[in-house]
Parts: sequence; structure tokens; C-alpha cells
Amino acid sequence: MAQELTLRVITPEKVLIDTTATSVQVPATDGSMGVFPRHAAMIAALGPGHLTFNDGKQSHDLFVAGGFAEVHDNTLRILTPAGEEPSEIDEERAKEAEVRARARLKPSRTDMTADEARIDIARANAALHRALMRLKVKGHAR
Amino acid sequence: MASVKELRLRIKSVGNIKQITRAMEMVASTKLRRFQDRAVSSRPYAEEIAGLVQGLAAVLGPEALDRPLFNVGSGEKICVLLVSSDRGLCGAYNTNLFSELERWLVVQKSAGVEEQDIDFFVYGRKGFQYLSKRGLNVETFLVEPPLESIDFSQAAATSNRLVEAFLSGAYKRVELLYTSFETMVRYVPRVVPFLPVEDQASEGDQEDSGGASDVILEPDAETIFDSLIPRYLEVRIFNALLESLTSEYASRRASMKAATDAATDMQGALKGQYNRLRQESITMELLDLVGGVEALK
Repeated sequence: MAQELTLRVITPEKVLIDTTATSVQVPATDGSMGVFPRHAAMIAALGPGHLTFNDGKQSHDLFVAGGFAEVHDNTLRILTPAGEEPSEIDEERAKEAEVRARARLKPSRTDMTADEARIDIARANAALHRALMRLKVKGHAR
Repeated sequence: MASVKELRLRIKSVGNIKQITRAMEMVASTKLRRFQDRAVSSRPYAEEIAGLVQGLAAVLGPEALDRPLFNVGSGEKICVLLVSSDRGLCGAYNTNLFSELERWLVVQKSAGVEEQDIDFFVYGRKGFQYLSKRGLNVETFLVEPPLESIDFSQAAATSNRLVEAFLSGAYKRVELLYTSFETMVRYVPRVVPFLPVEDQASEGDQEDSGGASDVILEPDAETIFDSLIPRYLEVRIFNALLESLTSEYASRRASMKAATDAATDMQGALKGQYNRLRQESITMELLDLVGGVEALK
């Protein structure tokens, strides 16, 4: 039997996933990172992105909106403000969000100070990233 | 003494009130259960985040605490987030909260902080009304969305506003005034410090300074810590809101139950009075009749 690790995805609203997995891919801030059974203790910051895990039979996809991954005693805990399964992702909404974010990134606005603009661009970038990641997870699952 | 007709009307109106209070009691119980479930299911996340904060604080050591959010702010003022209810009819819930506020204000005054130097962020219409009447500064009245339909992302937004206000340098501290839910019949209004964060994180230093040091940190402890602290604060706000809501509904249910019971008692008493009066008037009529018949003889 293949080795397994415990995967728990925890959001403020509930424990979303509590299962065993043979491998997990987490969207760390520095890029996607694989976690296998008996991984060394680790704490990683996550960006919004695509989490995949294999429960020994098939692979599953999940969108996570940032957060943290903690590996301890062969247990991987994902703490995220929001996690969505592909079936829960509202494709329309994500697309709208993408369009909105792109519009905000157009350099046509002059009604803001440099500081405000910088923050606004950072926010729009983050929103765009989230929207694209949601769409990616959704598309991947089909 | 009320007439038979008046009594009948009163019995009816008490009955109507009883129906309403009973319905409100049911609604409050359902909502109470819902908020309690949410509070329970948010606990794992809160515990994990708090655990991470402690672990990382231990890894980083004392220098971790030298950050803007860990030091007393540069401003003179104090900021308070007051969590009250939107609606009344919930027993002493708001009253208790406000008397805790008054107590706290007295303490502040003796420490040299005047009332004008305190700004309030308020949840709940009752709190807003009270503060306005008292002439205290309401910085922001958080109405949208209503407290009852709060979810984590909105709690997080509120937390970020408080953090921004703190970092802007206007305040030296941020406090939370909410009702903590202890048991179904015990909910205590409480003032807890929110920012700076020093107290909670330094507790972790003693606890697990040993085990956490050989953990791989991606990308590095500082970065994780910097993004962890806002999450930690969000969770605290979310918990404070959920606990307040749970307390509010527990309080509302209890007071509505008391009202229903009181209505039942009153109905019983009135019914007794009514029956006695009715019997009396029947007896009187009979006596009149008998007296009339006797007189005709």
C-alpha cells in the first residue's frame, strides 16, 4: 500500500476536507509545491491558486484563496480564508471579476494620487489573479 | 374593579402577546442554534491560526515583536469596536454592554483619557443610538451588511479597516467591546485589547520554543509572519462577532421565554378574576329574580 498523509483543509466556516492523500500540490507564494507523505515539518505561505491532491484513486481539484500550509507529523493542514470545489465556483462571477479587474488595470485613471493608484493596482492585480485561478481550477476539472 | 367585558378583552390581548412572544422565542432558538454551529465550526481554523502565530513567534524570537502592529501606536486617541445588536427585545443584552462601556470609560478617565479622545466603530443600531445620545464620537457605523448576515470575508474587511486606522497613526490602541458567550445562560460583556498584538503572541514564547525551530519555512519566517498576523486579527474579529450574535440570541430567547411565561401567569390570574366576576353577576341576577318573584307573591 502506498504511503499516505492526512490532508485537512480548514476554512473559518468549516473543515472543508479531512481525508488521506498520497500526494498534494499546494500553491505556495513562490510557485506550486508538492507535498508527499512523510514530508519534513514545514510552514508555507500560500497564494490564491490551485490545490490538487490524489487520494489514491483519483485526483481532486480545489481553489484556495491564499492562506497557509502546515506540515506536521505527516499531516498537511491548509488554512485558507476560502476554499471552493470546482462545482462551487461560479464561472460567470469569476469572468465578471476578471473583466472588472482588467478594466481597473487600464492606465486611464487620473483621479487618484500615486499612493492610491499603487494600492488600487495591487488590489486589482490580486483580484485578477483570484479570478483567473478560479477559472483555471474550473476548467481543469472538466 | 374591571367589568366582565373589560376582563374578557384583556385576557384576549394577553393571549395575543403570548402568541407573539412564543413565536419570537422559537425564532431566537433557531437562530441561536445556527450561530452556535457556526461558532463551533470556525473553531478549528481559529485554533490553527493561533497555534501558527505562537509557533512562529517562538522561531522569530523577541525581534519578531518589533513591528508596527506590535507596538503602541503613535496617536493619542483610542479606538473601540463596539458590537451591539440591531434590534431590541433581547433582555439586558445591550444594557449590560453599555454599563460595561461606562465602567470602562470611568477607568479610562482615571488613566487620563478623556471621552473625546475615544473613537468608536459600531456594529448594531442600538449601540449607535446609545453612543450618539451619550455624545461620544462615532467614527464609523458599520451597517452594511447587517450584523446578522455577517460572514468571514466581511469580518475580515472590518478587521482590515481597524488595522489601517491603527497604522495610519491616529490611535495608540484599538480595543474590542463585545459580549463573550460562555454558556447558554451566561454571556459577559468584555473589553479586550485588539491592537497592538503584543500580549497574545508573547505567551507563545514559553510554550513551544523547542519543537518549532527545525521547521522548514517557505518563503521565510518574516514573510509568513507578516501575512499571518492579519489573518489572526481577522479571526479574532470574526469570533467576537459570532460570540456577540450567539449571546444576543441566547439573551433574546431567555427574555422571550420569560415574557411567554409571564403572559401565561397573567392569563391564569385574569381568567380566575373573570370567572369569579361572571359567577358573581349570575348570582346577583338570580337573587334579583328570586327577590322579584318573592315580592309578587
